[in-house]
Amino acid sequence: MPSEPLHEEGLPESGSSAETTRNPWAEDVAPLMPQPTTAASPTAATAAAGVLEGRLHPYTLLFALIQVVRSVLLPAIVLLFVGNPRVAFGYLILFAALPAIFSLVRYFTFRYRIAGGELVTEQGIFQRTERHIPLTRVQDVRLEQGVLHRLFQVVDVHIETAGGQGAEASLSVLAQAEADRLRQAVFAASPALITAGEAAKNVGAGDAGPSASAGAARHEREVPVREIRLRDLVLAGLASNHLASSLALVFGAWAFVHEFLPRGFYQRHFRTVFRTAVRWWEQGGENSAWVLGVALLVLLVLVGMLMSVAGNVMLFYGFRLSLRGEDLHRVYGLFTRRASSLPRRRIQVIKIEESLPRRLVGLATLRADTAGSAAATAGQERTGRDVLLPVVPRAEVEPLLPAFFPDLDPEPPDWRRVSPRAIRRGAGPGTLLCLLLAGGLFYLRRDPATALAPLLPIPLFWLASALAYRRLGYALGLSYLWTRRGALSRATHVVPIRNIQAILVRQTPFDRTHRVASLRVDTAGQTYTGGGPQIGNVPAEDALALARTLARQAAHVRYRW
Amino acid sequence: MTTISTTALRETPPEPEWVALDPRVVPLWRVSHLIASGVLFLFAVVPGTIVGTFVFPPAWPWIIGFWLALAALRIWLFFWHPPRVYRAWGYRIDDRVLEIRHGILFRVLQLLPLSRVQHVDVQRGPLERRYGLASLILHTAGTHAAILTIPGLDAAEAVRLRDRLIAVAESGGDDAV
Repeated sequence: MPSEPLHEEGLPESGSSAETTRNPWAEDVAPLMPQPTTAASPTAATAAAGVLEGRLHPYTLLFALIQVVRSVLLPAIVLLFVGNPRVAFGYLILFAALPAIFSLVRYFTFRYRIAGGELVTEQGIFQRTERHIPLTRVQDVRLEQGVLHRLFQVVDVHIETAGGQGAEASLSVLAQAEADRLRQAVFAASPALITAGEAAKNVGAGDAGPSASAGAARHEREVPVREIRLRDLVLAGLASNHLASSLALVFGAWAFVHEFLPRGFYQRHFRTVFRTAVRWWEQGGENSAWVLGVALLVLLVLVGMLMSVAGNVMLFYGFRLSLRGEDLHRVYGLFTRRASSLPRRRIQVIKIEESLPRRLVGLATLRADTAGSAAATAGQERTGRDVLLPVVPRAEVEPLLPAFFPDLDPEPPDWRRVSPRAIRRGAGPGTLLCLLLAGGLFYLRRDPATALAPLLPIPLFWLASALAYRRLGYALGLSYLWTRRGALSRATHVVPIRNIQAILVRQTPFDRTHRVASLRVDTAGQTYTGGGPQIGNVPAEDALALARTLARQAAHVRYRW
Repeated sequence: MTTISTTALRETPPEPEWVALDPRVVPLWRVSHLIASGVLFLFAVVPGTIVGTFVFPPAWPWIIGFWLALAALRIWLFFWHPPRVYRAWGYRIDDRVLEIRHGILFRVLQLLPLSRVQHVDVQRGPLERRYGLASLILHTAGTHAAILTIPGLDAAEAVRLRDRLIAVAESGGDDAV
């Protein structure tokens, strides 16, 4: 059991979550943030000198215990009811003992230290594992505090690097002050302005030279970038796409109840409801049945909306995004508070996402990918890691972008459209299908009225295609590439050309007959931005010219992790 | 005609010439075609014919006919496909960018800024070794196009290319911020 010490699944990640200390309210978020100036400077000094070391907080054991109990609880209940209690007890001991021993070993052997530009973690008895993480490769430091963590003033710390599978190092749990010191030390040692090459040299030589200057830069004042008002959160919740999913949930629950309830009970109640409905129907004729049905539907919709509002508010309450030196900090959550920091130059792509319902209320979502997010696991929506800024009024997005991309071209993007053949190609397949259908119907029925019916949606296809075409486009700035698509639901990608890894120009046989090509840009990490920017139906010559320009320009600048 | 492989590419004057793969890759691809056909014959044709004739004996002329058609297709592919693919493949490299093109029906042009190369592998399978060839495999930090391949290079040429790519990647860009 101690021989696979790097596995983190057993640790209290799922149930835990992050919160700040005493209260969940926005103003009190501060403890998760670094203490502004005076208090922090001694820590920074230690970090620069390369001595920060420690071990897990004793409460780790408590949280491990909770985790074990929780993982065993459900099987325990099932086994107690179904099987022989004595056998069940034996199984439970076995299942509980292994993770418990693992946690004990982990707690007593785990050490970490920051030295020579690396974060080093060690653990294990028989197989000692020592992991060295160059601080220049750290993409993101996340702090999480569940309600219990908040009570005990401890934090889960997850450190992510480029290309790692999930968190490269998880320190759970640490005392709050300790976590802050660790986070500061990590970022103090990875100054924004050294190149990957220099950094490699520094790491190689064990020289912490540039850390000092960077450390100074780190302690600039915290500049708030954006806070999310409760009003916007509620609005976004109302206008989210959860309606369908909550309907599905209700139907699923109904099927479940149907399976499990005793037949008589179920029938009795159903009959009562049915009888009431019949009485109403007899009293008021057809209309009241309609009223009943509509009322039910409205109720469902309302419940769905309420659920998504509640979910949104719980996850993102008190959201605050701020900038300290070169690092972006995000703090959010009502019960479980989460905080994460990432150097802003690590942002690979930004996506401005406007789903149709949110667009109607004038809101957008900002997503960003770092090189570390490529390997992120599923279920990130529940932790809010997939969004950089969950809700923001659309009109305020562009003024915010320089906070993430300081060298963003000052002029607004000069959008270029793709080939107008995109309209034809967009509407073509639907039109063809409708024509075939109409032809088939005419052949079978010889009735013009029936046969013409399938032709009705054709103008709609062309309208939709034309609308989509008008919104489809790309813009090449001095050092940024923009792409946008979608008429009803919209997506806009912003990519710094320095982050482009490769460029692909593709031509299908159909593309060739229309003399167009599609262009796709590859960047590190495209998990949250949905596959990154790609644009089709670009006139072939433009696509090639654009690809060459991008490639040459990207080659000029060295890529930094 | 504006296609990737013809007019448009020639319109940008300072670009270097396209380099073709080593011609020995054509017989290599033919051999792999043969191997694939052999596997197909062993695992599909023989059992298919036996089972088919036993289950429905009168169908045997149809089964034979189908296999003959398939064989004809494979023979035609054997002669036509490798040279055609060979002509579609090409790469060129200047001081900053490596371009790779391939594909007959679906054409692909990959552009790789040399400063983005993370590492380079030279790969030689048993067949490639027999023909004195090698494949160059380039890795970037990207996601969906993180691995680019140039097959069918002369072994010595592949090593030379690798060293050149690494040298450029290490010297990096201008580091303009």
